[in-house]
Amino acid sequence: MLAIHAQALVRTFPPDIRAVDGIDLAIEAGRVFGFLGQNGSGKTTTVRMLTTLLRPTSGAAFVDGLDVTKQGAAIRQRIGVALQEAGLDDVQTGRELLTLQGRLFGMGAGEAKARAAELLRVVDLEFSADRRVGTYSGGMKRRLDLAAALVHRPSIVFLDEPTTGLDPISRDAIWRYVQRLNQEEGLTVFLTTQYLEEADRLAHEVAIMDSGKIVAQGSPAELKGALGADVVTVRPEGGEAARTRAAEILRNLGGVEEVRQDGEAVRVYIREGARAIPRVVLLLDEAGIALADVQHSQPTLDDVFLRTTGHHIEPGVAAPAGVKK
Amino acid sequence: MRLARDSYLLTMRTIRESLRNPALLGGNVFIPLFFFFVNLGVFKNIAATGFGVTDYAGFALPAAILQAVSNASAGQGLVQDMQRGYFDKLALTAAPRPALILGRMGADVTMAIVLSALIIGVGMIAGARIESGIAGALLLLLMSGVFALVYGAMGVALALRTGSPQMVQLSFLLFFPLLFLSPAFAPKEVFTGWLEFLATINPVTYVMEGMRSLVLTGWDGAALWKAAAAMGGLGLFTFTMTALAYRHRSL
Repeated sequence: MLAIHAQALVRTFPPDIRAVDGIDLAIEAGRVFGFLGQNGSGKTTTVRMLTTLLRPTSGAAFVDGLDVTKQGAAIRQRIGVALQEAGLDDVQTGRELLTLQGRLFGMGAGEAKARAAELLRVVDLEFSADRRVGTYSGGMKRRLDLAAALVHRPSIVFLDEPTTGLDPISRDAIWRYVQRLNQEEGLTVFLTTQYLEEADRLAHEVAIMDSGKIVAQGSPAELKGALGADVVTVRPEGGEAARTRAAEILRNLGGVEEVRQDGEAVRVYIREGARAIPRVVLLLDEAGIALADVQHSQPTLDDVFLRTTGHHIEPGVAAPAGVKK
Repeated sequence: MRLARDSYLLTMRTIRESLRNPALLGGNVFIPLFFFFVNLGVFKNIAATGFGVTDYAGFALPAAILQAVSNASAGQGLVQDMQRGYFDKLALTAAPRPALILGRMGADVTMAIVLSALIIGVGMIAGARIESGIAGALLLLLMSGVFALVYGAMGVALALRTGSPQMVQLSFLLFFPLLFLSPAFAPKEVFTGWLEFLATINPVTYVMEGMRSLVLTGWDGAALWKAAAAMGGLGLFTFTMTALAYRHRSL
């Protein structure tokens, strides 16, 4: 059963910006789906279409089998959404906000109150429950927003950059909640993020969005495996000139797929990287290039991102170019 | 059913929000009362000889009520919710989407009625008498509620259309002249030509005269019908604007 299904989904904005440019999605129920991309890549626009906040310009999208353009109300009863920049009301208390949220999903007063109390415990806010939201820290607001998305026991949750701007401890707390929701309660999670580590840790499947298009899709292991190479990172001594020469030399090594200069380091994408290390060191030694450091690693999602989009993902930085028709 | 229930829930949320902003609430009560008493001080002694009004407190009461009602803040509230992202949060619930707007407007109507009751009470202490009795006073409250709805719809339309607090402020700029280009302080018969003309084509004039008739004369059918027609016309305009803006937002 597909929880989320989209075909050739497009959204344009005047004058001629194609924010989402024909994407296809097929997300199985019970999975955590990581939607990766930089600011401005079209992630949020996609979420707004799937959650019935924005009409698609063309294409089709179904959530839990329901059409986003025709069955909005039924979809909203089944999904929970925490948008980027937790949209909360500062003047209400946490408890009031959650209770109202429950009531607006059709619960009676008593049921809504009980559910609010239960969720406040789950997200560790029970001791701040009767304070106004305006006094909460960023991390507390995100946790409350997450709780608000879960009030009506949805089967699918959309989390739009749930940890952007949070400190590592708060981020870790959100990650644990998301994992618990998925593993213990079987929720489907659609998670957008700029953090590769987040997608790697949480997602069963990942799609990389760049300039309104999905440029790669699969499980993190598949995507990394598809690179077909390990990464050997060397740090030559002797500055820029030594690095450029090292890169030239290593490009001629057998089994090398690609060599990239990356700051102080030279990254070599090479099959059977562990075995290649002695040859790498020997070649550079023969050329008189001393190495400060040599590392062998499996490729990360960052490597996948770099290979598919041509640039690193940098949280907070907008995508390199606006998308024009 | 669901629309009424959820509009009520959101009305209560808005009222709670207003009660937690005592400075704003205080201003909404204080300013109309301030003008009421200043006008009373200025005009009371000359009203009888100058334009034949013996009960000036009663005469000034509808102007104070309409001024208080013009603080209808549905549009401002909506824009605030949009900017905070809370509007999206509410739009993502199962509540029918018009309830998000009706909830705000319901709070305006409630606040208008409460403020008007307060102003009528203070006016009576200051010497005003309601000639149409308790039923007339209740009709006054109803009219102030309806006017809050009709007038507030303009701000809502601007909020939905532009999402900009500055633009919503414009609705106040629109109303401000309408309130003062009307017989707020003196009957329009004593106005100079151009002002009398503007007051005659201003719908607020008829709303005010209708309300005033309840205070000063008793039950004057013609004045009340004119007031109803003026509010109906104004409402037709502002609600059409709201409906168009709502469709534009294509929720």
